[in-house]
Amino acid sequence: MTSAVAVKPISVPSMPRLRRLFRQQRKLKFTRVGRWYCGLSIGIGLAAINTGNNLLFLVLGLMLSSIVVSGVLSEIALRGLEVERTLPATASAGAESLVGLRASNSKKRASSFSLELREEGGDLVGRAYLLLLAAGESHEVAYRFTPARRGLHRLGAIVVATRWPFGLFEKSRQLERPDELVVFPRRVPPPAAQREAAGRVGERPSGRAGHGTELHALRDHRAGEDVRTVHWRSSARAGKLIGVEHEHERRRQVCVALDHRHLSGPVLERAVERAAALVERELNAGADVSLALCGATLPARSGASHLTALLTALALVKSAPNAPGPLSPAGAATFFVGAGEQT
Amino acid sequence: MSPAAPRPARAPTALAAQRWAGSLAAASAFLACTASGDLGLSLSAVFFGSIFGASFFGRRAAHRLPWAWNALLIAALLFLVAQFTAGRVDLVLAAARFVALLLIHRLWNRVTLRDEVLLLLLSLLLLCGGAALSAELAFGLAFVAFAVSATWALVLLHLRSEIESGRSAESAQALLASRRLATPGLLLALGLLAMAGLAGSALVFFTFPRVSIGGFRRATGNRVAGLSDRIDLGGQGVISDDPRVVLRVRLPGAARGDLDWHWRARTLELWTGRGWRARAVPGRPVQRLPRRLQPEGRRAEVLRAEIEGVSGISDGVLLTPEGWPIAVEFVRPLTARANDVPRLLRDDAGDLHFSPVEIGDLTYSVTFDRRRDALVDLRGKGRDYPREVASSLIVPRLDPRILALSEELTKGRDPADAANRIERWLSGNLKYTRDLGAGSEDPLADFLFVRREGHCELFATAMVLLLRAGGVPARAVTGYYGGKLTDAGYYAVRAGDAHSWVEVYFPGFGFVPFDPTPPSERGSKLEGLWAKTVLVWDAVAARWRALVIDYDLVSQGRLLKSVLAAVAGAAKRFAGKSSTARSFRVPWLRLSALLFLIALLPGARLLRRWLKARLPSNLAADQRRAVRLWRDARAALVRAGLKVPVGLTAREVARLASSLGLPAQAAAARLAARYLEARWGGRSLLEGEARGLLRDLRRSF
Repeated sequence: MTSAVAVKPISVPSMPRLRRLFRQQRKLKFTRVGRWYCGLSIGIGLAAINTGNNLLFLVLGLMLSSIVVSGVLSEIALRGLEVERTLPATASAGAESLVGLRASNSKKRASSFSLELREEGGDLVGRAYLLLLAAGESHEVAYRFTPARRGLHRLGAIVVATRWPFGLFEKSRQLERPDELVVFPRRVPPPAAQREAAGRVGERPSGRAGHGTELHALRDHRAGEDVRTVHWRSSARAGKLIGVEHEHERRRQVCVALDHRHLSGPVLERAVERAAALVERELNAGADVSLALCGATLPARSGASHLTALLTALALVKSAPNAPGPLSPAGAATFFVGAGEQT
Repeated sequence: MSPAAPRPARAPTALAAQRWAGSLAAASAFLACTASGDLGLSLSAVFFGSIFGASFFGRRAAHRLPWAWNALLIAALLFLVAQFTAGRVDLVLAAARFVALLLIHRLWNRVTLRDEVLLLLLSLLLLCGGAALSAELAFGLAFVAFAVSATWALVLLHLRSEIESGRSAESAQALLASRRLATPGLLLALGLLAMAGLAGSALVFFTFPRVSIGGFRRATGNRVAGLSDRIDLGGQGVISDDPRVVLRVRLPGAARGDLDWHWRARTLELWTGRGWRARAVPGRPVQRLPRRLQPEGRRAEVLRAEIEGVSGISDGVLLTPEGWPIAVEFVRPLTARANDVPRLLRDDAGDLHFSPVEIGDLTYSVTFDRRRDALVDLRGKGRDYPREVASSLIVPRLDPRILALSEELTKGRDPADAANRIERWLSGNLKYTRDLGAGSEDPLADFLFVRREGHCELFATAMVLLLRAGGVPARAVTGYYGGKLTDAGYYAVRAGDAHSWVEVYFPGFGFVPFDPTPPSERGSKLEGLWAKTVLVWDAVAARWRALVIDYDLVSQGRLLKSVLAAVAGAAKRFAGKSSTARSFRVPWLRLSALLFLIALLPGARLLRRWLKARLPSNLAADQRRAVRLWRDARAALVRAGLKVPVGLTAREVARLASSLGLPAQAAAARLAARYLEARWGGRSLLEGEARGLLRDLRRSF
């Protein structure tokens, strides 16, 4: 018996880790009014020092203490806040979606005022504003965004910022909330002309017993079977209980095949959008839809979760010049989508 | 019974509250500036008219006729520049007036956020102008009002800015029209916030090093009342009691009730026909004051008075307490510039002056001999008068009845007895009144023989002229009488205490004071509510002056010293020792321990933050478990040699493991999926399952 010896590196607190530990968790920047205010404070301070006028020192003291008060209050506003993001169940390129941000104030007494929640460091840009978040309460706000492209969207941090109380500075705190959102292809109208051609492959008997409506065969009734399956006329004729077997009806089998080996840019996008529209149309029509991509095939199924899976796969499609072509399963009506119209 | 309908909110709308707060801040700043009285009545009237006018009609008038406003402001600027160039106003006053005009313009033209910001900015500039123009307590009150109203204005302006920036115009208008935003509770809380700001302001004020460069600065001079260099007896009407304080006097080590002292200002010895005037002889600088001749067996009664004279009351005359001044020492203003140091002057009449006059409020201490000359000492000094007192012997043309009265009271008597007799006769036979009567050709004769009542100047004039007619040198003296002990611990001499009395010359003694006004009628009778209110105001103003206006490097040093002494005292008490050697050592040890504990606080804070980050408290149990699971999994992957950049999501890490072909890729993908479901998807994650996932991951390495 051979055994692999895992060599574990010695765990020493690295400098970046220590830096992170001691890192200032807040960012502070001046607003336009704040820049004026600080400039004026410096001017008044110089005037006070120059003249020795105590009342100017008093005014200077008020201005400086306002800065301190502003810093303390904005710190109180940002403390004890937790923000969670709620992503939309589905999002399509070019369609407006809502992203929810749920802010909770865990402070026992102090309310938080004038909070701006915004995305930072990710592919989404959005912000929402909360005027008041009372102590111990949660509140959900949302922002709208319209994805410009399909595919994987990475979400980075949520920044909680406040300019409370005087609007002189913006203090912000960054909450790491990495996440992902797969944006489905842009929704386009399905190509109606092709539908009739596919209609010929509709639901049909499969040649074996099942739960369909067509008669499959008559046979002896077995003990324990539902009495409603007894074919009384045949039973009377045969003098024994004869049962009915119904035909198994199979769903229409459709395959959407996307050949994206030599597609790129807007052409690829249009092809993906058409494939997505076909997938959605066929699933809504009750077919079992499979998706054949270059190098991957998703088996035929139906239902909302399958639609999500197919659209997710389409959302992540990229140009694959070296991949094998799409393989459609036998017996399924296949829609080939390529550079031109589907066939 | 149906539930009661909710009461409509009584608070103003957010927009109205913000505008009112801005107006209030502007009004407070203007009041702070106008406390000096330099801005002028007309400008004040226009300003306050604009405050109210713009509140009601400002919306309609805003941003109309901009060319007219521009022309008006340019004209005002040119006018102020011309006034400044001509030396009619100084730079600070001209600038303050122009800022006030800009503020009026902005009050009528405030619609946008920018207008509101400019309004507050101009208000702040005007407040600074007030700081340069005024040193009055009124500035302090206006400053507090500004701190509160500007806090309201800034916060409400900030909220308005946030509301307007993130919403459509209709939505923002609807929210700004809400009465649930600027509630009384919020305004009260912001008022408390302003108080915190004021406390911080006081801290900065007292600790900021007072190192003055001494460049451009404006001389202060806020005149309250004045001591004239002449007396006119022919006036009509009633002398009013003015309760304003002109001198604040402290007598170190002396605890007594109200004072019955004369506060000597100046000598009036030249008769004008209807009154007196001073000799226009300038004083000469003196280093030391002349010594008093001490009669045999009499000891000096030396006292020291610390006197704070309100600016402008004396036109350069130094008021001294009754007695013989021995030394005068100026306490304030202290300045690095030699030209501003007050100098002591003394004229031929013995009056004391200071220069320069426009130095502002003056604090000085006078050491004086308060011993009164006894009548017995003054007798028998003869009538051999020096030439210097010749002007005190000049007898003008008098009513014969006055001459007859003089002869009756002085003939054959020693000058001391004659002076004593006249003093007693006048105070005993004539009445005191503040009513000046209807006016007369000869006010003195009218006082002595017709009305037989008058005020202190008539009593003093009568005694001087009766003595001079009898050949005794005498002169009238003006000043104040009294000294009301205030609750603040100082004696207040008020403008209504103005008084006049007499000085009689005795060879070897100089001029000795006599007061023919009945003792019970001297000084003012200011006891009403108004007078008490003025005294309380003055006490606060004195405290304001001592704590704020006169606070300088010396005061700062004293404060630091007292703080250090208090700390040392506390350390001694802390050590519980009185012997110097041990008590010196032990407190330091304990102080070091205390400092060490204080130094530990940031460490404890960091530790708390670290623990908090490890155990997020606002999550559900499943979420916490998921967080712990992912953290441990991540650490395990790192230990296994996978470099995991910061900020990578669980799914990305799993994908990274897969792309590197790690044996753990399947386990990592399963773990990441379960983490995401439990952390963000609302699915449960049992402890056993989490342990199992982690175990699978570790085994798969």
